[in-house]
Amino acid sequence: MSEMSNKKMKHLDEMTLLLYIERQLDRARGLEVSAHTQECDTCRTLLRALERESRLLTRAMLEEDEPLPSRLAQFQERARKSMQWIWGLVFGLAATGAYALYTGYILPWQQQLEQAGFGGSNLLGLLIFQGAMWKGWQSMITFLEVLAMVTLAGLGAVFFRRRIRRGSVLALVFAGFCTVLALPAPVTATEFRKGGTAEVRKDETVKGDIYMNGQHARIDGTVDGDAYVFCQQFDMNGHVTGDVIAFSQSSHIKGQIDGNLRSFNNNTTITGTVGKSAMLFNEVVTVDADAKIGRSFTVFAEGLNLDGNVGRDALLFFAHANLSGKIGGGVRAKGDSLEIGSAAVIEGPVKFDGNKAAEVSPGAKLASPVEFKQTQHKHTYREGSYYIWQVIWAAAFILFGLVLFALMPKFSQDAVKSAEQYGAAAGLGVLVLFGVPIAACIACITVVGLFIGVSTLFLWYASLYVAQLIVGAVIGQWLMGRTNELWPFIGRMTVGLILLRLCTTIPHVGGWVKFAAILWGIGAISLALYRRFQPVIAPGLPSAPHTPPIPPNTTVGGALPA
Amino acid sequence: MSVPGITEPTEAIARARAGDAEAWGELYRDYAPAIFRFSRRALPTREDAEDATMEIFMKLKDKLVQYDATRSFSAWLYKVAANHCWDMLRRRKIRQDKETDDLENVPLEHPDPSQLDMLIEQRTSEEVRRALDKLGGRARMALVMRYYSDMSYDEIADALGVRRAFVGVVLLRARHELRQALEGNAALAAGGA
Repeated sequence: MSEMSNKKMKHLDEMTLLLYIERQLDRARGLEVSAHTQECDTCRTLLRALERESRLLTRAMLEEDEPLPSRLAQFQERARKSMQWIWGLVFGLAATGAYALYTGYILPWQQQLEQAGFGGSNLLGLLIFQGAMWKGWQSMITFLEVLAMVTLAGLGAVFFRRRIRRGSVLALVFAGFCTVLALPAPVTATEFRKGGTAEVRKDETVKGDIYMNGQHARIDGTVDGDAYVFCQQFDMNGHVTGDVIAFSQSSHIKGQIDGNLRSFNNNTTITGTVGKSAMLFNEVVTVDADAKIGRSFTVFAEGLNLDGNVGRDALLFFAHANLSGKIGGGVRAKGDSLEIGSAAVIEGPVKFDGNKAAEVSPGAKLASPVEFKQTQHKHTYREGSYYIWQVIWAAAFILFGLVLFALMPKFSQDAVKSAEQYGAAAGLGVLVLFGVPIAACIACITVVGLFIGVSTLFLWYASLYVAQLIVGAVIGQWLMGRTNELWPFIGRMTVGLILLRLCTTIPHVGGWVKFAAILWGIGAISLALYRRFQPVIAPGLPSAPHTPPIPPNTTVGGALPA
Repeated sequence: MSVPGITEPTEAIARARAGDAEAWGELYRDYAPAIFRFSRRALPTREDAEDATMEIFMKLKDKLVQYDATRSFSAWLYKVAANHCWDMLRRRKIRQDKETDDLENVPLEHPDPSQLDMLIEQRTSEEVRRALDKLGGRARMALVMRYYSDMSYDEIADALGVRRAFVGVVLLRARHELRQALEGNAALAAGGA
């Protein structure tokens, strides 16, 4: 066909040629196309290009460019077997673990605390470890534990029905966790002393840490390490070179502690020496005239009497306090009423935030007059500064998100994608939000796991903020569409976060919005982490048998047979 | 539509329907790689494809009773997979605005045949797969259904929820998108002869 005649001929459109090679034209039209392409070079060239494109597409799709992921290969292996017995075992272990958790940790702890006298009805004394509040807290822990376990069981059931692989992993992890709890506590260098009276005798020296619990605990000798004490009455007459951490109804510190004192008691009296700092959560705290606290002094108490010597600053929260001792630094106090006696010597500034002004005896020696601030009882959201702080917080969040997303772009994207699996994210969110702190606290009280427990708590706390960033990114993507690029992604996070923060400032509702966002986001993070730790490729596994998929029907040219 | 080297698993299907876990495992072993690859081509990420494969096989357990043994098992399985993947994409709102445009507005002029020929000649399978990742959900889904699993226009129309007459348009448009992704040259995809 000459070029001239080619120009005169009306070309077939691409759609017709595609339908022709796909055998979608009727016979008559197919014959027309066939005849045309034999005469028209342009259409014939295009037809051949489309055919080659079809072949390229098919080849690209059928090529085995990656092996079957291990997750699927394992699923395959599992699928060939009946899983019923494994699930029986898993849930059996889980039940055993739950029972061990209760009998091994919760019940004895509860009994020890009851023995130690935490059965009263005081409100402030021990903040959370005492009286009605403690009981409430204990009930809350039990409730949350049950909630966490029920959630886990529910998730397990859902996954079991729909996703054998995932459900079984979760259940196995859970069973493993419970099995570990059921195992006897590992042997450590810590010395344990129990009984009606747990004591370190006067002529005795304990090398290393000591853990004491009983009706009455006494340290008359020397402990060359830390002392952890759970009891009703605690007397410390000896010498502890490390820290003392005491949970008791009544503690009397007459001896010498080289380290820090941390006490969660009904009442504490210090007549001896604390080398470093003291932090006390008590109902009544008395620091006698002979007592010495080397560094800072932090108190949460209903009543405080300070006649002794504090080396540095004091941070005090109380209902009523009397300061008649010497304080080497400043005082920052918040409470109902404060008296400063004539024997008081305070070398730094005194700031008091209370209901009425401090009563200062004329004989008291203060570096400067007491700065008093009347406690204000009004809704903060009526103040302009509240909104300024909200803006500052939002900016800090955005900055944090920017750094986080820039450092971990892939993980951030994964977490945001996981957040779109609403059910799984919410379920895991409930589990992690409540379950992790409980597990961390349990780890903390086992002493051995103190580091792990505290680290986990820190990570959990940080994740509360990250969760809001993730939810912000999800909201941003809802509004502005999806993206896989970093800066547009950060932009969406910023927009979403601002909206989220705005919602959280709404009085009464904002708190719930924040809670829901944290729950959702923390679940998404957990889901993304879970997926990240899933092995992707199984080098050790035999490759799946080659099963080429259905051959493509890319028959070239020709009309359908009549 | 069948898997080469694998005869129709009539017996395994019958046993799997009766609750034989071993038979179900056989079906999985024989067909999971193909379904994974299908999902991998159709969905944005590898994780999505893994999830989809497992979900499709879990769904299969419930749906196996609906399978008509007189028809091809592979074809039926791909149909289940296509519906599942398309549902996933729709749930995630991956469909972009451009996909909801009027399908009849697609330009139907000739591309430059020689340029198209050159583009096809120069591209490797790997490049095509990468370009596929850049396509919208419906375009990719249509190409995968047609050129991977050899589904008919009727089946594609049914899965995508479009009229059969528009399947060709969807496929052509998907090819145009693919060319743009391959070349970044809109003129090639939409240019006149």
